[in-house]
Amino acid sequence: MEKELTMPKLRPEMKDGVLCAWLKEEGDMVTAGEPLFEIETDKVVNQIEATESGVLKKQLFEEGDTVDVEAPVAILETK
Amino acid sequence: MEKKPEWLKVRYNQDAVNEVAALMRDLKLNTVCKEANCPNLGECYRKHTSTFMILGSVCTRNCRFCNVTTGHPLPPDPEEPMHVAQAAKRLGLRHVVLTCSTRDDLPDGGAEQFAKTVRAIREVCPGTTVETLISDMQMNTDALDVVIAAHPEVLNHNVETVKELQAAVRPKAGYERSLAVLRYCKEKDPTLLTKTGFMVGLGETDEQIDRLMDDILATGCDILTIGQYLQPSPKHYPLARYATPEDFARYKELALSKGFRHVASAPLARSSYKAWEVLEDTHDLY
Repeated sequence: MEKELTMPKLRPEMKDGVLCAWLKEEGDMVTAGEPLFEIETDKVVNQIEATESGVLKKQLFEEGDTVDVEAPVAILETK
Repeated sequence: MEKKPEWLKVRYNQDAVNEVAALMRDLKLNTVCKEANCPNLGECYRKHTSTFMILGSVCTRNCRFCNVTTGHPLPPDPEEPMHVAQAAKRLGLRHVVLTCSTRDDLPDGGAEQFAKTVRAIREVCPGTTVETLISDMQMNTDALDVVIAAHPEVLNHNVETVKELQAAVRPKAGYERSLAVLRYCKEKDPTLLTKTGFMVGLGETDEQIDRLMDDILATGCDILTIGQYLQPSPKHYPLARYATPEDFARYKELALSKGFRHVASAPLARSSYKAWEVLEDTHDLY
């Protein structure tokens, strides 16, 4: 089953965020709780964890892209 | 935006955050984790820990380092003390940290709400320890007496920065006043553990930090926290530098050598970060 992972809203006024790094490649296995990608905010770099386990099927953005809050960032193939 | 150093990476899990956020929403509570955009929110919420911010999410002061909204707050919510206690119970907290927006609009600065909340926690969660991270309450000793009488295990009030930067960083507060709050509380009830914290990265020098530690210690303060200032937005007070983990280790060593009982010094150390561990480390004092 395909599952979309979205851009989290890291603070109330956040409208978008810069995806600064992918920590997994397409085709990699991902376990729930593992960091999947990084978003830089004013204060820190947030390593966003996968909320489910599966295979990273598709990275929908490239490193350096600005992504709207709640927009799909990745597609995970889950069991 | 300047590139963040490697040591300013934090983990974030949306499901874990949603769970705690929903509880706070249900009970109409605020957390300083959210209002101050704390970098540790993801880690703390995952561990079912948070720091309650009582007296509303709107502050009457305009400190230039702080992300909390400035404005005209609402009157205190009479249900808030019991709601905090219920949330603490649902989260299973062993140690509850209460902080507040600074309420210069209230005659008692919100002291009574603090006391009621401490008492509600004692009633609903027996055995749970409480830490009150208070404003300076304009050094109103009647107000401070109300908080002291509720007898939290830890009374925390942050000096935030060195003497030389106070006016620029926290224009409606003051160095001497914050030190006086710490001194007064300790003298009034020596069994209270007193605690304070400051940030580095605002432009202070090591010599100024050294004097700051001496001034804090002279109030009888037991616990010190030192963390990196992180600029909440380009409109806030400008960041001067990122101190390295080695710098924080050096500050910790210095503070311990001066005589502080416990020191938490790390880039992401915050007043209430791992407050329970800090209290455990000082358990022989209470």
